[in-house]
Amino acid sequence: MNVRRDMRSVLAVARGGHGPLVEYRDVSVSYGELLAVNNVSFAVERGEILCVIGPNGAGKTTLLRMTNGLLRPTAGEIWFDGLRVDRMPAHRIAALGATQVFQDIQLFENMSVLDNVMTGAHGWTDTGFVGASLRLASAIDEERWMRRAAIQQLSALGLAGLLHEYPSALSWGEQKLVGLARALLCRPILLLLDEPYGGLDTEEIDRLSRTLKTLKREGMTILMVEHLTDIVMDVADRVVVLHYGEKLAEGTPDTVREDERVIATYLGD
Amino acid sequence: MEASTVLQSLISGLTLGCIYAALGLGLFVVYGVTRVLNLAQGEFVMLGGMLTVSFCSMGVPLLGAIVLAVIVTIISGAALYLLVIRPAKNASGSTLAFLTVGFAYAIEGTTLLVWGWEYHSLTNFLGSSSIHLWGATIFGQAPWVVGMTVLMVVGLFFFFGRTMVGKALRACADEPLGARSVGISIEKMALLSFMLAAGLGAVAGATITPLTMTAYNVGMPLTIKGLLAAFLGGIHRAEGVILGGLLVGLAEALSAGLMPTGYHDAIALGILLVVFLSRPQGLLPARSGAG
Amino acid sequence: MSPIVDKAKQRAARLVPMPRVPRAALILLVVIALLPVTDSAYLLSILIKIGLHAVIGMGLILLTGLAGQVSLGQGVFYGTGAYVSALLCLRFGISPWLAMPLAAAASGLLAAPIGRAILRLKGIIVAGVTLTVNLIFFYLVVSVSDLTGGATGLSQIPRFEYPKFMSYTTFVFYAVWLLVILCLVLTTNLVASRVGRALKSVNVLGIGTEDTPQVLGIDVMHFKVAAYVGAAVFAGIAGSVYAHHISVIEPHTFSVQTSVLVAIMVVLGGVTNPWGAIVGSALIVGLTELLREVAPIILGGPTGSYELVAYGVVLVLTLLFLPDGLCSLPARIQEWKRGRRL
Repeated sequence: MNVRRDMRSVLAVARGGHGPLVEYRDVSVSYGELLAVNNVSFAVERGEILCVIGPNGAGKTTLLRMTNGLLRPTAGEIWFDGLRVDRMPAHRIAALGATQVFQDIQLFENMSVLDNVMTGAHGWTDTGFVGASLRLASAIDEERWMRRAAIQQLSALGLAGLLHEYPSALSWGEQKLVGLARALLCRPILLLLDEPYGGLDTEEIDRLSRTLKTLKREGMTILMVEHLTDIVMDVADRVVVLHYGEKLAEGTPDTVREDERVIATYLGD
Repeated sequence: MEASTVLQSLISGLTLGCIYAALGLGLFVVYGVTRVLNLAQGEFVMLGGMLTVSFCSMGVPLLGAIVLAVIVTIISGAALYLLVIRPAKNASGSTLAFLTVGFAYAIEGTTLLVWGWEYHSLTNFLGSSSIHLWGATIFGQAPWVVGMTVLMVVGLFFFFGRTMVGKALRACADEPLGARSVGISIEKMALLSFMLAAGLGAVAGATITPLTMTAYNVGMPLTIKGLLAAFLGGIHRAEGVILGGLLVGLAEALSAGLMPTGYHDAIALGILLVVFLSRPQGLLPARSGAG
Repeated sequence: MSPIVDKAKQRAARLVPMPRVPRAALILLVVIALLPVTDSAYLLSILIKIGLHAVIGMGLILLTGLAGQVSLGQGVFYGTGAYVSALLCLRFGISPWLAMPLAAAASGLLAAPIGRAILRLKGIIVAGVTLTVNLIFFYLVVSVSDLTGGATGLSQIPRFEYPKFMSYTTFVFYAVWLLVILCLVLTTNLVASRVGRALKSVNVLGIGTEDTPQVLGIDVMHFKVAAYVGAAVFAGIAGSVYAHHISVIEPHTFSVQTSVLVAIMVVLGGVTNPWGAIVGSALIVGLTELLREVAPIILGGPTGSYELVAYGVVLVLTLLFLPDGLCSLPARIQEWKRGRRL
């Protein structure tokens, strides 16, 4: 049937691949005269948590958007799992296994939490207009499967009681978790997170870090943008520092913490 | 193709263009400040014409009739905002557009009730019925239409550029949060924008009635063409709207004059639509920075 | 048993459709079957009108209610369905039963490129563009007079072949309402399915961008266009039935006025609820007939004026007090009751 139904097998396949999962080669993007990202190169290894840090406006979100195909670089290449993706439409990159949770989550206001999360499964299911309108057996089957997977995911994150609530009734922390659940239903091999820790209290921060570490243990690769540096140092395997769109430093959290340039321009103030 | 035909078409086109530019400006004022697509704009134009006709027939001299008509229409514009738009807090753009449609229907129905089916007309403002120039015929009202539009444009530029109120309106359009933080009341500005649009529409309506006549149902087609005019050149700046209006008018007149095969309406609109779709942000480049 | 035969059996079992018929639709079916069919062709034709507009409306549920694309130009496809169906019968002598699906397909085929072109735009401006498209269609129909009969339209459009023991109007009544029920079932199924969720994810009119569905793997353009084509097909079928019902069609029926009115019907009824198309249609058509016939007699004044005012007032009041349409009334009452109990 559909390999994607089981997250573990998806991740196992991803882990077995060669080379880094994501590679940025001299990537630049400009908005008019403003160079938002300037000649950035680095790689994201399979199964690691990599954090991109830097002050606001450093080009971090832009980098994420490019990785997902929402923005095209004006120069350079982006490679994902051995395929060049910088010219691919976003939904095709998603089909390859990359998805993103945005800074403002953007849950669909016009559907329930359960429906929101089930939307995540869209990429690896294929019921179309005919199957859906006539309620063919295959369609009902698939729907049942998606529903079960969504409920499972939500329960794992402790949100089983919220299934039929609408996003407007949720707290910020709950919205973040639902957004994560929705992204996880995509069965991604690369999870892009834009400032996932924003607005969370200490307990929620703890829970999120634990969840991310668990995902990593299962083989997920996570590329995260943050500017709350202390939290990041705890969770990340490696860190890339961006400053005014340029890569300032790269390495393990300890290495970066002691890098002179970083201290001078960023951590220092 | 005779030169006089081309000239005739160009002149008609210019005249029509001014009408659509005026319509577009009304739409522009409301959309710029409130982001509402006012599908009742054409009704303001219709009201301007109808009311002027009525007041004239009651014996009011022309200028007075126009002033009264504009005042009444401005009141209806205020009514649209206060009774229909403002109560719909947090409504989506589509709900707001439908609300203006509802208002437009109410106006149309009431107009039909009061004035009936027939077309009404006014005599030309200066009485003469047409001017002949180089073999082309200009309807006597045409210079008034062009003049009205020019005055409107100049007036608006002055209003938005020099007066406090105008600048406040522009602030709301460009930077709503910033405007609020300096104490500008968005609600008051929104009300003002609707009233201004109604006034502009009414003036346009009164001026074009000698040329095109008016009836209860001329509103909607005018709104549609006005929409096209407003967005074609670029809704983000007044110059774009004026350009859009002129283009729509010229397209209509040139196609009618040079392609009298009966398809000209469809072709003209079709070309304009294709042009718009190929550059939806408007033909003119966006204003860079604070204009 | 050979594994090949097993697999084939499995596959066959998958294809057997299991349509879920909403309980209410069954009730509707029963009501219609038992409806004491009066001799009043007038009453039947009103009910037919309601049904036809409900069908067009259901297309809008998908396009506007779910996907959030406001179309004020469904008249284009209503008209295409009518004219294509009429012309196929008048010019080629084929049966209306064959012409109908062909006309529906023609509407869909026309909608695909138009949809691709205009749905790249985002926001309420789409509504304005659909108005322009409708206006162009209207002008075209009037000018291509050798084909379409121009402003006078086409007449003597053949009727459907129908069982002769009932009157033609009665037959069309049953046919239309069976069509309504079919559309109701299909639309309801779509709303609560993967496709429905995909369409809803594209709805950015409230807030949000098209980024989120994209990164979840939803091809936004594909679904927007699919919804547009779907709505066109619904309208096309309705147009075809209309043409063979009245036997006379003329361009004004498919003008901007009709398109806007159909959109209003759906908004009034409840734009995300397939029943909303039926409720809204019944309300507007009923109101129109009442005001057109009755009001001028009682109140004097030209016919046509009262309905216009009524549309406006009803629309504004509904949008202000019941923004989700009349079908949301039961839910609202529940909420209100719950609020009072607290």
